[in-house]
Amino acid sequence: MSRYFEQVNVGDVLEPLVRGPFRSAHLMRWSSAMENWHKIHYDRKFAVEHDKLPGILINGTLKQQMIMQFLRDWAGNTGWVWKVGFQFRAMNVEGEVLRLWARVTGKRELPLYGLVDLELGIVNGEQKESTPGTAIIALPYAKGAPVPYPFVPPQGPGSRT
Amino acid sequence: MSLLTAEVQALIGAESSVEAACDEVERGAVRRYVQAYMDNDPIFYSDEVTNPLPWREPVAPPLFPMNMFRRPFGTPDPFSEHDRNPDFDGIVGSTAQGLPPLPLPKTIGLLNAGTEVEVFRYAKHGERVTAKSSYHSITEKQSSKGPMLLVVIETEYRGGEGGLLLRVQKTLIRR
Repeated sequence: MSRYFEQVNVGDVLEPLVRGPFRSAHLMRWSSAMENWHKIHYDRKFAVEHDKLPGILINGTLKQQMIMQFLRDWAGNTGWVWKVGFQFRAMNVEGEVLRLWARVTGKRELPLYGLVDLELGIVNGEQKESTPGTAIIALPYAKGAPVPYPFVPPQGPGSRT
Repeated sequence: MSLLTAEVQALIGAESSVEAACDEVERGAVRRYVQAYMDNDPIFYSDEVTNPLPWREPVAPPLFPMNMFRRPFGTPDPFSEHDRNPDFDGIVGSTAQGLPPLPLPKTIGLLNAGTEVEVFRYAKHGERVTAKSSYHSITEKQSSKGPMLLVVIETEYRGGEGGLLLRVQKTLIRR
């Protein structure tokens, strides 16, 4: 799938990515793949009785991976997810279904490619936002050259390569 | 009381040494990783799919290098010192990423406030990865609970030939 800059409009809403309900097996599998042994992610007794949490927590690193997956799926292999920022504002716990959302907030035309600004987040079944953030994705022009790889950021603040 | 003492300010700009991940980008580790976050994109395993793409061969997910810095062979088991501690929470390693710890009172806690990532290219299977961190900025703000520090640690991840893969800024709240 190729997505071009001209096909995108400010206000566009991305098809959400829905994952879950997350069970302890999901969280143990992620903790193991990460070699992250923090017990709040797989030891319910420790999380609830020792750390006074509402349940075992869905890892922040798992949520950030899913954000990247969500954005890459939208950008396709001809686009490039350049910048992503997010904050962990609230906990998500075992049993929750997470819905990743994003909306196009701006577009900028540059000589080599176009940049698309997005706002994004992750909400649970109660529509509580846990991970608000923003992203910038580079897309090729329909009749333009491919987005350079490795990615070459535009000149200006924040571009220090 | 200010947390931004002269000793803390002196660490702004301090850099870690260049650390090499103990293993190269392993195909099996990539498989376990993408299966664990439920991503079936064939760019992580298929030569047929990746050959016509700019990266030409299977790659790791963009944030994978952040998780490659693990305990090498032959190093002490970090769990062993907690054998008799039922309160051990399982956390091993440091959040300082090779940087000198901030000289703060022991009562000062730590919260992860957010992450900003810039991605430049994917790491390839078999590629060696290095990381270098610095205290990018340390600023003080007043909160309802008193002073707090916003500590931004920047880490650059580079591939086998030294090219930049990722630049990550993590903001930590210390209060």
